[in-house]
Amino acid sequence: MIVMRDYEAIVIGGGHAGLEAALALSREGFDTLMVTQSLDAIGRMSCNPAIGGLAKGNLVREIDALGGEMGHLIDASMIQYRILNRSRGPAVQAPRAQADKFTYSRLAKETCEREKKLNLFMDTVVDFIIEEEKGRRKIIGVVTERGWHITAKVVVLTTGTFMEGKIFIGEYDAPCGRLGESAAIGLGKKLREYGFNVGRMKTGTPARVRESSLDYDELEVQDGDEEMMPFSFDYEKIERPLRRCWITYTNEETHRIIRENMHRSPLYGGKIVGKGPRYCPSIEDKVMRFPDRERHQIFVEPEGIGTEEMYLNGLSSSLPEEVQHRFIRTLPGLRHCEIMRPAYAVEYDYLDPLDLKPSLESKILDNLFVAGQTNGTSGYEEAAAQGLMAGINAAQRLKGEKSVVLGRTDAYIGVLIDDLVTKGTKEPYRMFTSRAEYRLSLRHDNSDQRLTKIGYEAGLASKEKMERLEEKIKAMDEVKDLLKREKREGKNCLQLLSQPENDIESLMVPGLEKFSRSILSEVQLDVKYSGYLKRQDSEAERVKRQEAILIPEDFDYDKVDGLSSESREKFKAIRPHSIGQAGRISGVRVSDVAILSVAVKGRNND
Amino acid sequence: MTGYTTDEPIYALATPFSPSALAVVRTSGNDSIALVSSVFKGRLKDRPSSSAVHGWIVDKEGKKVDEVVAVVYGRGHGYTGEEAVEIMCHGSLPVIRKVSSTLEEAGFRRALKGEFTYRAFIHGRMDLTEAEAVEELVSAKGERSREDALSRLSGSIRKEAEKARDEIVQILASLEVQLDYGEDEIPEEWIFPKERVEGIIERLERIRSTYSSSRLYSQGAKVVLAGRTNAGKSSLFNALLKENRAIVSDTEGTTRDYIEAQVEMEGIPVRLFDTAGLRDSGDDIEKEGIRRSEELMDSADLVVYVLSPEDEKIEEKRDRTIFVHSKSDIAESEGISFSSLTGDGISSVVEAIVSYLTKESRGAEDVPVIESERQERKLGETVEALKEAEQNSNESVDIIALFFQSALSSLSELTGETTSDDILEVLFSSFCLGK
Repeated sequence: MIVMRDYEAIVIGGGHAGLEAALALSREGFDTLMVTQSLDAIGRMSCNPAIGGLAKGNLVREIDALGGEMGHLIDASMIQYRILNRSRGPAVQAPRAQADKFTYSRLAKETCEREKKLNLFMDTVVDFIIEEEKGRRKIIGVVTERGWHITAKVVVLTTGTFMEGKIFIGEYDAPCGRLGESAAIGLGKKLREYGFNVGRMKTGTPARVRESSLDYDELEVQDGDEEMMPFSFDYEKIERPLRRCWITYTNEETHRIIRENMHRSPLYGGKIVGKGPRYCPSIEDKVMRFPDRERHQIFVEPEGIGTEEMYLNGLSSSLPEEVQHRFIRTLPGLRHCEIMRPAYAVEYDYLDPLDLKPSLESKILDNLFVAGQTNGTSGYEEAAAQGLMAGINAAQRLKGEKSVVLGRTDAYIGVLIDDLVTKGTKEPYRMFTSRAEYRLSLRHDNSDQRLTKIGYEAGLASKEKMERLEEKIKAMDEVKDLLKREKREGKNCLQLLSQPENDIESLMVPGLEKFSRSILSEVQLDVKYSGYLKRQDSEAERVKRQEAILIPEDFDYDKVDGLSSESREKFKAIRPHSIGQAGRISGVRVSDVAILSVAVKGRNND
Repeated sequence: MTGYTTDEPIYALATPFSPSALAVVRTSGNDSIALVSSVFKGRLKDRPSSSAVHGWIVDKEGKKVDEVVAVVYGRGHGYTGEEAVEIMCHGSLPVIRKVSSTLEEAGFRRALKGEFTYRAFIHGRMDLTEAEAVEELVSAKGERSREDALSRLSGSIRKEAEKARDEIVQILASLEVQLDYGEDEIPEEWIFPKERVEGIIERLERIRSTYSSSRLYSQGAKVVLAGRTNAGKSSLFNALLKENRAIVSDTEGTTRDYIEAQVEMEGIPVRLFDTAGLRDSGDDIEKEGIRRSEELMDSADLVVYVLSPEDEKIEEKRDRTIFVHSKSDIAESEGISFSSLTGDGISSVVEAIVSYLTKESRGAEDVPVIESERQERKLGETVEALKEAEQNSNESVDIIALFFQSALSSLSELTGETTSDDILEVLFSSFCLGK
């Protein structure tokens, strides 16, 4: 046993969750150690070379508003930018950027290295050091593969796909978290022994092909927006080189090859037990589940600048390599392609997120916070969002302050975490616009107005960030003032703006020229949506009332008469913090929530 | 719900406390069967659930109180889901009182209002919609109303609402997919499903329209007989009362005022008024009587205007009025005619009254009837939101989705919660998604 010095915080893992957690803790002034299996893989994008998208783009901007890092990283590495769903409503549109994934990862490591309080150490955590006190267990450190014993007051666990990870390519399998990178073996077994509810999940990634081997005359061009806009609220503009994406389609021949070889897929053979995401199915899945579709769209995306690897978005697979080679080469543009990396599936351990408090602290082990794919999510943005909140809440614990819990009305991050800790998840959880009931007010452009103050008060978002926000609010107020004062035919321009046929630019109100386009557009959206927001607010009222009925932590569900045993077990397992949360637990009967609320009210009145 | 408990033995009179042929006293709670047995002559123990046992209720001294039929229910079988006994005794007030006090001596507590329903709800014997129906069943006035309340117990209103909900979920899924995936993955523009939405609105409106007719059955209608003096109103009044043989009360009004009686016509509780005849009169008191008649006619749900053969034909059409011709034994008339003397045609008058009162609910025969104001309001909100969605069909998808969500959430209060997972479920099964 070799003992390393004591830290205030340890973060296990250096992926998108781990780096946000480590940066949050060290930036709040805590002596932090990041333990990662590979220093070269900090912030690595294992799958698609893109950040953002619908709902996910909102997550990135919320992370930035709270003082997280993801926005800065993508702003400094993007090679294509696009606002999605412009035509489908301003409230639900979101930015997505193609990333130069190598630049992204290098910047991630550099950012970590710049933090004085953040120490980086390459090793694999294989066990926890646990202390028991008055019947409660708490984590006080970790043990590594090379025998180090490192202690800390709080630990954040972010293992991604690495905990007992296993990759599959047809009949081939190997203990890896990513192709060519060893899995973290041992910790999963230990956690099972400690009583964690550990399950298996599965995800996959497509093949990478060589840029110079593509037949471009057979591919459709997909360009991004002409102008790139930053994800971060810290600056107005970014200048980055642009790269194109391409589109092609599968065909009958592709599908025939896939169908004929389906029996060789580890998924259909039962080798993989973990559940994969329905929203991001492998090409095998798409062919089998939608047999009538004549073709499926495939996006060919550059992995970065200074690399020839191209990512075949939509073609993830776990079929044997020679089958992959055959079906990939049936697609127009790819007929002569050189395949550089194969598609593969990866299966890994995750911990049931129902064992977490809304602060992301484990209910099983005090002072352990868990974030990212370990909680059963998928996606860089979902991971980063949890990493950030786990980091913030671990820091709150160190400061002895109460945890920061975002509500469903505050942020997509609030929806994400509430869903995880209330409903759990059976498949890798992805953020969707449709999961957010109050999405009209959760626009990406107002993330700073919703969250920066919270991040600032927690001690993470900088003073400059707060000042920028205050300036922005001031500017928006000035714009609203100007609009209000300008009258046309008995109505002021603020009223006129709320009519669908008018927009802020065509109103030509003098004085508005000096304001940036983003300020004007934000004011415009506020005004145009205000009527609908009111409606949404009235819907939210009912929910908020239930949210306000708090259930004491030591509430005894066995003493409540008349609960169905199924609901009783669920309440006992999840221990909801409010009637609102209790009502969102899946499979709980409305009548049981009614009974519970009567019982809780009765107790609260005592 | 203060004071409500479960399992503790309770009893309550399940039928109105008024003289009638039979009354039902219900018990519920642990050891109900044993407790009733202690005051019952006959064997109640070890009977299969739901079996009826003939016997006598006896008091402490073994004196017979009443000859009864008792129905025993094992745990999980009866109305509340608890062990229970239902006692059918004779309906005279002294018997009811004596049976009650005997049960109290045997160890039963008098139930609080609504406690039986509460227990049924707690033990999962009914959902909220059903619980509401029971509430109405208890306070329902007429026969038909009782049947409506019973038909809801099968959850038929829920089934109807669920049909509509499933359709809205489908529409919402087709909308949400546009919000969850970019135009590069789902390039198709969403088109407002006008016909489908109107179909749902129509269905919901039909359920909703039954509210007014069911109010008719539970709260009754006010029917006023009017006409010139000597037209035959009073004879018709008496004939109608006789025909229906269901006089609850008849109140004498002030002199030359009106007479009121409560009758039931084909299940509808009707307050029937016989008014002072309409004519020009110099008599001040009679004038006042006529003024009151007119006031009554204004507030009536229906005015039955009686014309005698001597009356001039009235051409004018009047609101909420049907014309009937009296004295058909003297002279033939067109339209509805009757003779109070022979009784001919009285039933056709009743038919005309009922048909007028129920005409609003016609066309809604294959949909269940709703009675609760809350349900009516929720259906109304759902319809309103769907109509707003239609009016805003030119707006962007995120706004339109708001109205469908709103519709869904109103409807969910009748059907149980619909979660975003339910919508994603539909979405994933109907669309091929994912790059």
